[in-house]
Formats: sequence, structure tokens, C-alpha cells
Amino acid sequence: MTREVVVGTGTGLDTADMVLNIGPQHPSTHGVLRLKLVLDGERVISCEPIIGYMHRGAEKLFEVRDYRQIIVLANRHDWLSAFANELGVALAVERLMGIEVPERAVWLRTALAELNRVLNHLMFLGSYPLEIGAITPVFYAFRERETLQTIMEEVSGGRMHYMFNRVGGLKEEVPAGWTRRARAAIGEVRRRLPDLDNLIRRNEIFLARTVGVGVLTAEQAAAYGASGPVARASGLDFDLRRDEPYLAYGSLSVPVVTRQEGDCHARFECLLDQVFVSLDLAETCLERVDQISGPVNVRLPKVVKAPEGHTYAWTENPLGINGYYLVSRGEKTPWRMKLRTASYANVQALSTLLPGCLVPDLIAILGSMFFVVGDIDK
Amino acid sequence: MDGIPGKGLVKGLAVTAKTMAHRAHTRQYPDVEPDLPPRSRGVIALFEENCTVCMLCARECPDWCIYIDSHKEEVVVPGAARARQRNVLDRFAIDFSLCMYCGICIEACPFDALYWSPEFEYAEYDIRDLLHEKDRLREWMWTVPPPPAHDPMGEPAKEESTAARRAAR
Repeated sequence: MTREVVVGTGTGLDTADMVLNIGPQHPSTHGVLRLKLVLDGERVISCEPIIGYMHRGAEKLFEVRDYRQIIVLANRHDWLSAFANELGVALAVERLMGIEVPERAVWLRTALAELNRVLNHLMFLGSYPLEIGAITPVFYAFRERETLQTIMEEVSGGRMHYMFNRVGGLKEEVPAGWTRRARAAIGEVRRRLPDLDNLIRRNEIFLARTVGVGVLTAEQAAAYGASGPVARASGLDFDLRRDEPYLAYGSLSVPVVTRQEGDCHARFECLLDQVFVSLDLAETCLERVDQISGPVNVRLPKVVKAPEGHTYAWTENPLGINGYYLVSRGEKTPWRMKLRTASYANVQALSTLLPGCLVPDLIAILGSMFFVVGDIDK
Repeated sequence: MDGIPGKGLVKGLAVTAKTMAHRAHTRQYPDVEPDLPPRSRGVIALFEENCTVCMLCARECPDWCIYIDSHKEEVVVPGAARARQRNVLDRFAIDFSLCMYCGICIEACPFDALYWSPEFEYAEYDIRDLLHEKDRLREWMWTVPPPPAHDPMGEPAKEESTAARRAAR
């Protein structure tokens, strides 16, 4: 007796594209970014970043907060660049009110902004290798972060949310001897930073994971409005500190770190070299601070009201261009304050960067875009 | 890549070996207390005696986490024509589960009733216990450090300049 068994239908194998969600909770996304991928086997066919899981309505909250309260909120959207975020708000309001910031405050702000940039970059220099399997660099990065955070804490009282900017300058004068201690800390970080460099930059495994992976061309970067280290790694030579100087950058020579390759390794290298540049800039600024005496803020009226009008203040944040479009109707709260964040624009490029790559490369690319989800969702 | 294969790995291992020969950077926290600067924003202390119930802190707080209750009392001043009215603080509480540690209340206080203290070890198992009432906030006052001296190149602290002005009078 024979029995017929049908083991397959049709000829060959039917394949179907798989839709895979990465996130919203995935360790490599630094928060809650969700990527909707269409996969053909191991290859990504299309990628759609779905954002908004961390939307906190910052822009709407700005409309019902006075300018000092806005600084509290503004330093939180990109929690790794709190000082730079505060700075943008302060610059916008100062411009509208026509306040001239004392010179000492300008140089102190520049020094602190550069230290903040180093802190931000060190975070990514530690976390990016971690994401693709190298656990060691993060300890070195955090050792340096700790040194600089101590300095920031001494001056502002905070380790991440500094709350040190005010409209018209800074909150208060720095403690006696702080500039000397800050310079010592910078020296220490500069001396130990080659450890991090030697550990990972030319590591063969790291190179194999990142070189030639996720190439973003300069045209694509420009088309998506990418900025900061991500765009500069693609050869888009644009840095507001040099091209449209604010604070004291006009009287400093700012070396802009660029790469031509546009791959993950170039983005990482841009970040690493930028740290050295920023340490030098911060040190120069601190030297100037020691030569300038005077107040660090101006006397403000009891109620700070920006006159009717609008302005757009953009700054080179650690992750790219951060802009605040401030519209005031002469009240003590803004009528509208639009946020242009670096991560939001940078992450858009993922939809062209990811198609065609393999799933294991996806993590390498995602991590190398250096974004903070709070900065995307606002 | 350039040079001998595995050079990058060897370089990395050399860093590890070098670090191994050095003292560890770690501070064993619960056993070793961290050195916190006086400006460190750990907890808000209330100097109740200075509070006049003006409500400025509660109004300026970005997320309204300060609760104040008060009543008016009549104080008979001998020699005065009429009895004076005085605000008496009944309740002053800060909800540290909401607080964003921005320090605006401290800046807004015109009577120096609020201070930062670097103390940070007040974690609780229940979120409701993070609501510190006025006696607990008063207790933190004992941990408030003196403010650091200002950089000689900058302006002196507000406390210094007012003290100098008072002394000159």
C-alpha cells in the first residue's frame, strides 16, 4: 500500500519580505527610536524611522514658560549637550532684547560650550564601540567624562543639566581657582586621551565593522540637512563656529575636522579628532577668561520680556546645528519657539543609508549617526 | 590595512596592560563618600525662619512642585496704633519626585530662605516619600556648605558686597 504525501507546493521556495521592528526599545537606539525595516533575508530593503515615542511637547511648553524657565526645559531635549542648548535660547532672547553680554561671560560661555562638546563626544566615543561589541573603550571614555564633569559640577552645580546660562550672561561668577583647576583637568584629559585613541581607532575588528559601511555622500548629507560630525565626515565642510561665528569663536581660529569617506569609521574619527580640537579651544578660552575682569551677567528687569519681533539663533551644537526660532509678541513668554535639532535632521538620512545594508551592519550605522532620541522627538 | 596585521589589537592590549599597572580609577562609593563641590545641586534646604510666605518660589517653579499653606496672624506691637498682620507658614513642601533641580526657586527667593545642599542620599522605596515637608527641609539646612569664594577677576558674591556696604554704613 502506498500513500502519497505532498511535501511542498509550487516550484522552488516562496520567499516573502519580512517586516521587522527595531525598537522602540532597543539598546542600540539610545532611547526609544523605532525603525520599521523590510528585510529580504539578511538584507535591508527599506527602512522607515518612526519617531515620537519620546515626544514631550517641549515647543508647546516653551509657550507657557518665562525665559528663565525655558532654559530649564531647553537643556533637556538633547541631554548630552545641555550647555549648548541653553546657550541657543539665551542668544535668541539676548538678540531680541538687544542685550550686550559682558566680555568675560562670552569667553566663559565659549569655554564651557567646548567642554560640553568634549563631554558629549566622549559619551559617543564610549558607547559606539560598545554597541558593536567592544566593551573596553567606554570605561576610558567615562574616566575622562568624570574628570570634566567634576569641573562642570564645581562651576554650575550640575553634572548634566547645568542651568548655568541666563539671559544676559551666566548665572554667577566661577569659584576662585576654578579656571586653574579646569585647565589642569583639560591637561589630564588630553594626556590620557591617546589611550582611547590607541584602544579603538585602528583596532582591526573595529575597522572591519566600520570601514566602508554606511557611506553617506556629501550630497545626501546636504539634502537631508545633516550637520555636525555626521555631515563633516562626508566632506560637508560646514561648521557654524567658523562660518557664522557666535560667542567668541570669531576671534578664535577654529580648525574644522572633516573626512571624505563618509563611512562609519570616518564619523567616529571626526568625533575623536574633534575632542582634541575642543580641548585646545577650551584651554585658549580659559586663558582669555583669566585676563578679562568684570561681571558675568547684566542686571535684568524684574520681568524679562522680549520685545515684539522674531529671530533665529543657531549654534553649532556637539551633534550638529541647533536652532531656535523665537517669535515674541512682547510678553514674558514667547509666542512661539520653534526648535531645529541636529539629531532630527541627521536621523532622516537613515532611510537612504540603511537600504542595501546587512542587518549586522545596521547597528554599526545606527550607532554612528550619533543622535539622542530626546533631541529627535523634542 | 597598513603595517603588520593585528597591530591595532596589540596597541589596544598595550593600553590595557599599561592601565593594569596603574591604580584603579574607581571610587568605592558606599564606603568612600564622593567629594562634592559646595554648588552641587543635591537637595533644597529651607531656612524656615527667613520665609515670609511671598510665594515667589512656588510661582516661579517650572513644574509647580512647591506646596505652601499659610495663615495670617495679628501681632500687637506695643506703641503701634493698630495690630500688624503677619503671614505664618503652615506648610512648605517640595515634591522631589517632580523637582527638576533647576534652582529657580532658590534664585527667585528674595529673603534667602532656600539653599542648595550637596546631600543626595534620600532615595525612597515609595515615590510619595519624596515629598519633603518643612521640618525635613529645615533639617537639610544643617548640611548647607558655605558658598565658594568668587574668582578675583570677576565680581564679588552678592553676600560679600552687601556685607561690605553694611559695614561701611
